[in-house]
Amino acid sequence: MSGHDSKYFSTTKKGEIPELKEELNSQYKDKRKDAVKKVIAAMTVGKDVSSLFTDVVNCMQTENLELKKLVYLYLINYAKSQPDLAILAVNTFVKDSQDPNPLIRALAVRTMGCIRVDKITEYLCDPLQRCLKDDDPYVRKTAAICVAKLYDINAELVEDRGFLEALKDLISDNNPMVVANAVAALAEIQDSSTRPIFEITSHTLSKLLTALNECTEWGQVFILDSLSRYKAADAREAENIVERVTPRLQHANCAVVLSAVKIILLQMELITSTDVVRNLCKKMAPPLVTLLSAEPEIQYVALRNINLIVQKRPTILAHEIKVFFCKYNDPIYVKMEKLEIMIKLASDRNIDQVLLEFKEYATEVDVDFVRKAVRAIGRCAIKLERAAERCISVLLELIKIKVNYVVQEAIIVIKDIFRRYPNTYESIIATLCESLDTLDEPEAKASMIWIIGEYAERIDNADELLESFLETFPEEPALVQLQLLTATVKLFLKKPTEGPQQMIQAVLNNATVETDNPDLRDRAYIYWRLLSTDPEAAKDVVLAEKPVISDDSNQLDSSLLDDLLANISTLSSVYHKPPEAFVSRVKTAPRADDEEFADTAETGYSESPSQGVDGASPSSSAGTSSNVPVKQPAAPAAPAPMPDLLGDLMGMDNSIVPVDEPTAPSGPPLPVLLPSTTGQGLQISAQLVRRDGQIFYDISFDNGTQTVLDGFMIQFNKNTFGLAAGGALQVSPLQPGTSARTLLPMVAFQNLSPGAPSSLLQVAVKNNQQPVWYFNDKIPMHAFFGEDGKMERTSFLEAWKSLPDDNEFSKEFPSSVVSSIDATVEHLAASNVFFIAKRKNSNKDVLYMSAKIPRGIPFLIELTAAVGVPGVKCAVKTPNKEMVALFFEAMESLLKFGCGVVSQELIDSA
Amino acid sequence: MISQFFVLSQRGDHIVFRDYRGEVPKGSAEIFFRKVKFWNDDEAEEAPPVFNVDGVNYIHVKVAGLFFVVTTMVNVSPSLLLELLQRIARVTKDYLGVLNEDSLRKNFILVYELLDEVIDFGYPQTTSTEVLKSYIFNEPIMVDAGRLPPLGPAAMFMQGTKRMPGTAVTKSVVATEPGGKKREEIFVDIIERISVTFSSSGYILTSEIDGTIQMKSYLTGNPEIRLALNEDLSIGRTGSSSYDYRSSSGGGAVILDDCNFHESVHLDSFDIDRTLHLIPPDGEFAVMNYRITQEFKPPFRVTALIEEAGPSRAEVLLKIRADFSANVTANTIVVQMPVPSYTMRASFELEAGAIVGGSEHTLRAKLTFSQESHGNLTKEAGPVNMNFTIPMYNTSKLQFSVIQD
Repeated sequence: MSGHDSKYFSTTKKGEIPELKEELNSQYKDKRKDAVKKVIAAMTVGKDVSSLFTDVVNCMQTENLELKKLVYLYLINYAKSQPDLAILAVNTFVKDSQDPNPLIRALAVRTMGCIRVDKITEYLCDPLQRCLKDDDPYVRKTAAICVAKLYDINAELVEDRGFLEALKDLISDNNPMVVANAVAALAEIQDSSTRPIFEITSHTLSKLLTALNECTEWGQVFILDSLSRYKAADAREAENIVERVTPRLQHANCAVVLSAVKIILLQMELITSTDVVRNLCKKMAPPLVTLLSAEPEIQYVALRNINLIVQKRPTILAHEIKVFFCKYNDPIYVKMEKLEIMIKLASDRNIDQVLLEFKEYATEVDVDFVRKAVRAIGRCAIKLERAAERCISVLLELIKIKVNYVVQEAIIVIKDIFRRYPNTYESIIATLCESLDTLDEPEAKASMIWIIGEYAERIDNADELLESFLETFPEEPALVQLQLLTATVKLFLKKPTEGPQQMIQAVLNNATVETDNPDLRDRAYIYWRLLSTDPEAAKDVVLAEKPVISDDSNQLDSSLLDDLLANISTLSSVYHKPPEAFVSRVKTAPRADDEEFADTAETGYSESPSQGVDGASPSSSAGTSSNVPVKQPAAPAAPAPMPDLLGDLMGMDNSIVPVDEPTAPSGPPLPVLLPSTTGQGLQISAQLVRRDGQIFYDISFDNGTQTVLDGFMIQFNKNTFGLAAGGALQVSPLQPGTSARTLLPMVAFQNLSPGAPSSLLQVAVKNNQQPVWYFNDKIPMHAFFGEDGKMERTSFLEAWKSLPDDNEFSKEFPSSVVSSIDATVEHLAASNVFFIAKRKNSNKDVLYMSAKIPRGIPFLIELTAAVGVPGVKCAVKTPNKEMVALFFEAMESLLKFGCGVVSQELIDSA
Repeated sequence: MISQFFVLSQRGDHIVFRDYRGEVPKGSAEIFFRKVKFWNDDEAEEAPPVFNVDGVNYIHVKVAGLFFVVTTMVNVSPSLLLELLQRIARVTKDYLGVLNEDSLRKNFILVYELLDEVIDFGYPQTTSTEVLKSYIFNEPIMVDAGRLPPLGPAAMFMQGTKRMPGTAVTKSVVATEPGGKKREEIFVDIIERISVTFSSSGYILTSEIDGTIQMKSYLTGNPEIRLALNEDLSIGRTGSSSYDYRSSSGGGAVILDDCNFHESVHLDSFDIDRTLHLIPPDGEFAVMNYRITQEFKPPFRVTALIEEAGPSRAEVLLKIRADFSANVTANTIVVQMPVPSYTMRASFELEAGAIVGGSEHTLRAKLTFSQESHGNLTKEAGPVNMNFTIPMYNTSKLQFSVIQD
């Protein structure tokens, strides 16, 4: 070959395509090859060379593998856009799949599988059938993967033609590469199917364990990951599996090591002998530590996994804390993870060493890391009672350095230490008070105020200290205001003298009359009433003994932990989220483009509810098949939500108060979507609503049947906004004649439907007694208007100017009336349409407003109307033209509903 | 499995882009690049190697200043993907001799051919240069290695990977020599990364060796090779705690905390005579990785002193003493010491040259600052980082001899 490939990138004068066409049809082989290379080069830089399709395909019939591969590369890229022409290539493919050269056979099958054109798929079946039984292992392993490709295009075809059975036969193949690919293909097919397809029996188990020793490192990972789904029958089998897997811990490939660790951890659950378990723990430690000698990227993954492992089995690495000490040149993401593990491994035995390290980190340059180190010291103090004093003295030393953010962070953790060990370390309060005026972060300020209020009787000048904060009360963030309020009440109850009395008056006044924060207002009113009706009761409530806290801030819930441990060495264990939370791909066999809703729903539900009850692990069966984790609702209804006032009153950390507990909403009746006549007595009404920046599906069930209905589940079809349920539907069994209403949290962008945007939301609901009900709802786009949609005047103007004119659209809403500018502005603001400016144009008012939907798509709005006269003109500019129609729908409904809605939403937020 | 694989330059240009499953929405490379560049709106903070944006998982490593990235939509093993990315980089380097934007662009067709064999439908197939040779038909086009700055030992650990120094680095495993004949060569190196923390009084606080036996084979016919290590080598500390080192200084035996091996290595007789049997595949690979926390004598003692010499001046005194015997010499030494960010000028005197065992060298530097220091000079300067090569010497005393049958 002559010259450099990069020369193909240089453009030749004008008329490149005709020139290439000519060269492709040249009689000289070399010239043709060069031409194809040029075409590929153009393709990779994004030029459209699809018009050369026929000419390139003509070069396909060649014995030259290099040229053949290039043509195939081209085909894969353009077949989808030229399905009719792609048929031209079929004959050559079929011929190639019978070529004496195994490389050509494999290449043909591999490439055909990548061409996602229905018509070609039909022709693929016969060659694939042959290649699955080919003599050459290279062809067989390629064919195995091809079955997975075909399943992705047309699942039915794969099942009808018996490819699944052929694939299962390949597990017994004598070539380990073929076994590994067959396992990978079966695992993928299983993931996208709800029927059991790939079940490991004790027979396949031994086959896989044998292949494990011989196949490539990648194959080993496929096999190990499949094995991790296998549930051993008893302890003996578990020990046997572990014994066969343990040598993998010595592998140089970290993925193999981590997958082996996963299996060992899972099987260990079954092993009863403590000796064996101890021995295994001992064996796992060195390889886990060795992972930290790998590249920093792998270290990060290893550390995230180790974080989970030490929560479950702290003994494994109990003696290895030193390896988690940060190196100065570790990337910040590695340092942060190491710190987390150091806290988890800290014990009375090693705390001195650990504290020395933390102290060192707390004087480094990176602010985030320093903060985390200071917090780590505090968390160790809370965790280890005997070391608390040493931790505090380190914190005090750090405070003395007087680096602002270190001091603030230290005060935050000291507040927690006071909570953990009441009446023990108050002697240090004086030192803390010295730094009072340097505090400027809300959390630090709030912590300090909490300390002053809590120990008001021991601080001589507590009233002066608090008073200094009160001057700026209206400007403080809510967090600080709430603490100030509680601290002042405490002070007053402890020292009911004149000074505090005046302070409490001022604070209560500020917090009730002059604030629009409902939390603050409510809390102030309660205090006020308590103080005015029964001061002794107020004392009992406000100064009550607080429960002792423990350090569980970074401890995972045990069921989640088990879920994550079953997912060791996967993305899930890196994010510390269950797979359902981020895997959105729903792979039902797509029936071309006219995907029927019923199909999606059916696959989603075919998982029978009984499966959920008999305790099948959700990670192994559910979750992968559908994007909505359809779970049985907890049998007894959750206790009725109590107003969470007590927590607030006790001056606890605000963050502890659960905020996202779905409460039973009340409010005006919802639109009926499934009338009881259609639903055999069951009536369903629902509506999408936005609360506190989150979208909920407000849904209500009316049981008009004669039986108890239970086991309610819900699923949403793909839609423009990708709305899907963000949790299980919580409906307790419904007695005849009763109704239930719930707020289902929703997540967006989970199952997006392609195509033109539409507000259609198709919903399927089922219960254990009735057939599946389907109904349609409308997605009000304003539910997506974010709280962050407010734009500054200048940025609005800039954005308006920067968008081209053909991004501007306008529409008349003839039946809408603006009865008062202020009311309209307020009403729209409640739906996150924010007012920016207004001007008068003859007798009409022009309002400029902005709104934003997720993914940062802004809407710049201009409303023109005459007050009191029907007819509003709405003009909008947005970078995303497709959404305009939906936007107008939303605006029209917002402007139509008028004040009825306003009051409703005000009630909700109050 | 893997949806896409791509290589981006530091500026975010596509160098290689291959979509294996067509399920990730367009623009993923741009989304990735923006996210990495402005992690947390802060250019200083480095993005973690694994993250999720709008349901697409991005996994990346940085090799030779390039981003190697894969995307996936499912819950796969990220360590597998990270290992794979490193391996793709290594295979490409085996083929192209040098790995950089230029060589990738010149060889894009070869690179695509490689990618088709390495990954099928998102599943890694093989990353062994040896195996790939039978499926790859394009010949690499060599970039002139002379134009490139030599990859000195200083650059060795910069990317976090253990690279082999010396001449072998820039030679393709598959390309034939210009003369037409192939030289029968095999390079075996021991590369050790030593991390030692000294207390201010000079005591060793922590010490650790991460070592690799690195091999790059240009042998034809794939003969079996035996690699004999120290006979008294033992694996696994007998004590259960890292605090009790036993009295290891005794007979000079090498104790590895842990080690692992390349898959081509047969360990049949390893337990008996500490010999590794292997048929080295073509290309560069790590025969064995090991880790030592046993006490050892660091080859250098480095003392750094930084003192204020006026409101906006400071003096640095850096002493290096070579603690090895006088008959070996360390060369290509690079000593790095970060100075405070507000340093305007530094002037220093230097004794240049290689360092002979037993000798001591001093560097004096004067720093001028643009602002007054905050009295925390020692924190903002350092720590000192040193890279060096000492031929025929290694700290762990691990040795090997190659026996070819």
